[in-house]
Amino acid sequence: MIEARRISKFFSIVNKDGIAEGLTACLSVSLSIGKGEIITLLGPSGCGKSTFLEILAGLQAPTEGEVYIDGVRVLEPLPSTRNEMEEYRKKYRFLSPLANDLIRDRPKHDIAMIFQDYAVFPWMTVLQNVTFTLKLRGLAHVEREKQALIYLGKVGLASSANKYPSQLSGGMRQRLAFARALSVEPKAILMDEPFAAVDLLTRERLQDDLLNLWKSSGITIVMVTHDVAEAVYLSDEIVIFSPSPGTIRNLFRVDVPRPRRRDDPALAEIQERISRLLKYDLDNESEYSI
Amino acid sequence: MHYTPRNYGSKGISLLTRESWLFLKNAFGSIFSREFIKVLLPLLVLWEIVPRLNIIPRTLIPTLSDVALAFWDLTLNKGFFLHIIYSLGKFLAGLLIAIFLAIPIGIFMGWNIPIRKHTLPLFQILAPIPPPAWVPITIIIFGIGLPMQIYLIFLGAFYPILFNTYQAIKDTDPRYLSSARVFGASELTLILRVYIWNALGAIIMSVKTGVAIALVMLVIAEMYGGRSGIGYLLVEAKDFFQIPAMVVCMLTLGLIGWFSIELLKFAELKLALWKVGR
Ligand SMILES: Nc1ncnc2c1ncn2[C@@H]1O[C@H](COP(=O)(O)OP(=O)(O)OP(=O)(O)O)[C@@H](O)[C@H]1O
Ligand SMILES: [Mg+2]
Repeated sequence: MIEARRISKFFSIVNKDGIAEGLTACLSVSLSIGKGEIITLLGPSGCGKSTFLEILAGLQAPTEGEVYIDGVRVLEPLPSTRNEMEEYRKKYRFLSPLANDLIRDRPKHDIAMIFQDYAVFPWMTVLQNVTFTLKLRGLAHVEREKQALIYLGKVGLASSANKYPSQLSGGMRQRLAFARALSVEPKAILMDEPFAAVDLLTRERLQDDLLNLWKSSGITIVMVTHDVAEAVYLSDEIVIFSPSPGTIRNLFRVDVPRPRRRDDPALAEIQERISRLLKYDLDNESEYSI
Repeated sequence: MHYTPRNYGSKGISLLTRESWLFLKNAFGSIFSREFIKVLLPLLVLWEIVPRLNIIPRTLIPTLSDVALAFWDLTLNKGFFLHIIYSLGKFLAGLLIAIFLAIPIGIFMGWNIPIRKHTLPLFQILAPIPPPAWVPITIIIFGIGLPMQIYLIFLGAFYPILFNTYQAIKDTDPRYLSSARVFGASELTLILRVYIWNALGAIIMSVKTGVAIALVMLVIAEMYGGRSGIGYLLVEAKDFFQIPAMVVCMLTLGLIGWFSIELLKFAELKLALWKVGR
């Protein structure tokens, strides 16, 4: 359903001496994610997971490579010849390729995303945050509020509907981002460390909620996490990124049947192998070369 | 439940009085605080006594009562309040034109790179010219009437509002844009629901700066031309060496500035409700 073909992303940054340097965030990442799969991306901090996720969503243009969602290309590839360059320039002279449309709200793809720092709008109330996204998806005015309240209820925020995000705790903001993304009932959801800010018990509850939702809707889930246990418990497949530049180091399939038990020894074994691998990478970071 | 229109009316009025009271308390309450009164009263007494004892010649520094008398005289014989209204009118006209031009231009410049590249250098060339330097050429082009005065006030407020709005819009956190885009927001929606709100605090701040400079330009404009306004009264008082009248004009101008700034602060408080939480 989501297919990334040889995605590379380079940033040019200015170092402290004022000299421009190249920085490779992703290098030639190819990944194919089937419909209804749960995929987690694991890797050390700064290896380009968030960048990769935003490229999948079409929010950043990759330097090289293409992403397809249901066979539709997410962003036009960057030009490679002089003629292509001219045409590309002309076409995107006024609006960047990342923009949806000038005046019409219209998502390019039926996906939702939860950002690492949630990115809920502080100037909208909890309810408005959700109704706003529903409006973008073209829901009629009368249905928006109803649907928003249903999803806020699911994450336990219905009573805080009229508060502003600054009045919520970190975990509540997290759940708001969750409700906002799920309320549009997307085909796929991309999540960047969605459970990082909540305590262990809440986290486990949210994970099970997510699994229930996944079971009932068959949604495709791509998730970034640092928590190996969480990755093992949730995923069909775990993608391990190497330290920068971010490339795919290993793919682990987790073939343990669902519903899974958290204390299943088979899961523990996979978790142990992955942890060892990550630790090895960190210890040998300087020697590691591509 | 029946609400007669009259009920609504009185409700509206009571809301209005409550809000105005709140505003006045927020804005000028600090003068009448118990702490400041202890400073203010002695200062006023000193102001009255020191010139009277001729420690400083009274012809140069008028006493409080001299100033009060001058105020009374201006009000009775010169139509002081009419002049205040003239000044306020020009000030508002120039300021509003500046706001309604600078904020949209700033938004467009911050939002879109091609627009920015086509327009920004023009403003970068013109903005550093100190507004008072425009006075001579403006007088030649517009004469010394109302248009010239309004233009100068406009000029004072325009650039600070423009540049600060532009900067704030340009610096909008890309995550907010991304999170609206992924759900399908068009550029228009982004401007109306994301960019503007994110920059609101900075925009109001820029209007405050604009007000301060516009006030300077109001005085300059009225000193150079026209037969109305507080700046004109100020120059007239100078010509007749009426120092108390000059002090009245100066204090009035200060009050206008203070009042406008407080009004903007109040607007910010009302608009940016979401910031009150933290
Ligand atoms: N806009 C940008 N300009 C320059 N460099 C960037 C930009 N965005 C990301 N980077 C760099 O790209 C690399 C990957 O960043 P990214 O946020 O994708 O890491 P990450 O894997 O999500 O890390 P974490 O686990 O800490 O969230 C980092 O070194 C970061 O400094
Ligand atoms: Mg990240």
